[in-house]
Amino acid sequence: MSGSPPWSSSRWHSSQAGFVPHHATSNSTGRLEVASSPPDVQRSLSAANIAGHSSLRGMRRLEARRQMEEANFLSSKARSQNLNPPIDLRMLDYVTAYDDNLMCPICRCPFLDPVVLAECDHCFCRDCIRQTWASTYSPLGPRGDCPSCRTPAKLGPRSATSKILVNITDDLLVRCPKSEDGCKAQVKRGEVQDHVNIYCGYAYMECTADDCELHVLRKDAAEGCLHFGVSCLDCRQSMQKASLETHWRVQCPDRKVSCELCKEAVFNREWDTHSRETCPAISIPCPGKVFGCNSRSKRSQADVHAKSCTFAKLTPMLTAMQQRMDEQEAAQKVMVRKLEVLEGGFQAVQTILSTKQEDPDQVGADESRIPLLTGRPHQRGDSGGMLDAMVVETDVGAFVFPPPSSSSRPSSELVHVRAGASLPPLYSAPMAPGPRPADLPEPFTMDFDMASPFPPPAANGPYISPLHHLLSMHESLRDEMSRMSAALQELDGRQSMQALNENLRTREEISYMAAQVAGLSRQVHWLTSAQLQRQQHGGAGRQAAGAAGPSGSDIAGAGAGVEAAVSTAASALRGAARIVNAGQGMTMRRGLSEEGRTKL
Amino acid sequence: MANRLGAMSSASAANQGAKSAGNPSRPAANGNVIKRLQSELMALMTSPTPGLSAFPAGSDMTKWNATVTGPSDTPYADLTFKLTLSYPANYPYAPPEVLFKTPIYHPNVDMAGRICLDILKKGGDGSEGAWSAVLNTGSVLLSIQSLLGEPNNASPLNGEAALLWDRDQTEYKKKVLARHQEPEDVEAADVA
Ligand SMILES: [Zn+2]
Ligand SMILES: [Zn+2]
Ligand SMILES: [Zn+2]
Ligand SMILES: [Zn+2]
Ligand SMILES: [Zn+2]
Ligand SMILES: [Zn+2]
Ligand SMILES: [Zn+2]
Repeated sequence: MSGSPPWSSSRWHSSQAGFVPHHATSNSTGRLEVASSPPDVQRSLSAANIAGHSSLRGMRRLEARRQMEEANFLSSKARSQNLNPPIDLRMLDYVTAYDDNLMCPICRCPFLDPVVLAECDHCFCRDCIRQTWASTYSPLGPRGDCPSCRTPAKLGPRSATSKILVNITDDLLVRCPKSEDGCKAQVKRGEVQDHVNIYCGYAYMECTADDCELHVLRKDAAEGCLHFGVSCLDCRQSMQKASLETHWRVQCPDRKVSCELCKEAVFNREWDTHSRETCPAISIPCPGKVFGCNSRSKRSQADVHAKSCTFAKLTPMLTAMQQRMDEQEAAQKVMVRKLEVLEGGFQAVQTILSTKQEDPDQVGADESRIPLLTGRPHQRGDSGGMLDAMVVETDVGAFVFPPPSSSSRPSSELVHVRAGASLPPLYSAPMAPGPRPADLPEPFTMDFDMASPFPPPAANGPYISPLHHLLSMHESLRDEMSRMSAALQELDGRQSMQALNENLRTREEISYMAAQVAGLSRQVHWLTSAQLQRQQHGGAGRQAAGAAGPSGSDIAGAGAGVEAAVSTAASALRGAARIVNAGQGMTMRRGLSEEGRTKL
Repeated sequence: MANRLGAMSSASAANQGAKSAGNPSRPAANGNVIKRLQSELMALMTSPTPGLSAFPAGSDMTKWNATVTGPSDTPYADLTFKLTLSYPANYPYAPPEVLFKTPIYHPNVDMAGRICLDILKKGGDGSEGAWSAVLNTGSVLLSIQSLLGEPNNASPLNGEAALLWDRDQTEYKKKVLARHQEPEDVEAADVA
């Protein structure tokens, strides 16, 4: 309000020195001139009144009088409205709390001229329900849906509620609408218009001076006409005497007003800062408010309270802890993300392992992962230990608290480093398998389903930790290995039995052949000796010794040749038998070597 | 006769009585709107509803900020959403304009934060609005909160969300979390 006044102050140069009678100022035509006519009308009306009474000149005269009275009434009403506009009863401040049931659900004020909808018994102010239905015009009168329950309803002429409700709401105490200007009156709501119109010292009325048409506050009316120019002694601003009081109370920047709370006089221009910040009587919350102290104390006594209040004492510490907790929370978020990455890594391990399962060539490649049939407990312990160490390290990383001294430094950095350090062994183990042994066994076919012990990861269910997951996989691999070895042993046995049977049959055949050959050899021997005897008989008898000699020796040589051939065949048979035996041994060795490879 | 001083006096009276009742320089309806909003604010402060809050944004009583927390057992559980409410001059005979300031993935909210909700539309001849003068800030926010858990998939603004809601709640929740921003982040973005 300390800004430039709505009129130009330069016009008032001449009157700055002090009081100047208002008659000295120039006339101007304004809307107040309209309001100034009624007194004349009134005077002429009373004259007409007297004239009418005395003469009684018939209906026309009476009619004219009635019209004049009406005009008079309307104009005086218009003037009083101009001075004191009708009070908007919804804008009033209620002194005491009122029952919520007395409140109109639309304007949230105590009912004003309440009406009840016959269709559903809901109650509203007449104006409120009219305005609600303003958009749905009907020639049969206001109608629409009830705002509370949407029942179609209408406003009949007999919708008014009982007098009791009207009386209760009209008897509620309100502050005078001029309370901002200084009126301290508290009146019943039903009487507030009368208060302003008739009694309120801060309502306007016509100036008592006969020749003055301006209005003054009712309380100043007795002081005569105050409509002359003055200038404020404090700020040198020009105004009328009638408005000086208001100027001093609200506007004048160089005038002191007394603070209602601390009883101190404060300059108007400093009032904003005083009421907001510096007033010692304004109650401020305890510094420990956020931690639970609900006490408020006056600014001047805030220190006293802070000394005795546990919350206020703990506030610095609690604030620091709060800050630390926030940091921890941020760090934990980082850890959660890390954990997700780790779990992703384990998933990768799992997929790698199950693909290796389908290609057994690679299973053998990573010797350290797959224990041999004998168990090799030390190696399993080693890998388990490594995993244990990893998990422990991760845990430590997630839950480590920074030392109190380093509270300012975010601990997430520390955690990050630790988590990063624990990552490499995890990734390197499955990703980069160790060097392959030189003597890789060739892939062998399997007559049983090897993928079955590794159900898909999703069906495996959640494991307590990745370590458990790996261990369980390890376990099932070992089972698989023992099944495999049992199967191989069975196969081996069957194969050696088959070889044995085959050998027996071959040996029998060989011995049978050997017997035949021996029979043959005996026959040949008998034939040879029989031939020799015959030759000796014939040669001796007929002296053909010269011719027979050579032929006899020929036959003897042939017999010896047959004998030699038969013995060669026999030795060949023996050799065959040896070979069969040797073959059996070879099969056995092969079986053993295959078993050995499988075991590898 | 009336003179310049008279005009001046009435001007100064109008000036100093800016807050007094029935001041002709301000529309009377506006005063009633503010009075009603003050009454609503008082009710919200004295009996707060869990998961809802509302307060005037600044000195202008007809612009409010509000927060709504997603109901538990919905994809919006534990998420807090910021909204703005703007009250028209003929409030409560017309509904406030409500906008989501926090980005939200919901069948009945579009990318600009506009909400498709029957009680936020003025009813009357032919229109489908269900606004009623007895509704208030608290009941509007409550309706919006329940809309989070029970979207109206028959008339979606975000058709994809409506389809996903019926098909895959897990994926839906993922989308909700991806779209959501903490109120502090939204504020930071506003400042920047
Ligand atoms: Zn009402
Ligand atoms: Zn009803
Ligand atoms: Zn009064
Ligand atoms: Zn006067
Ligand atoms: Zn002054
Ligand atoms: Zn003070
Ligand atoms: Zn305290």
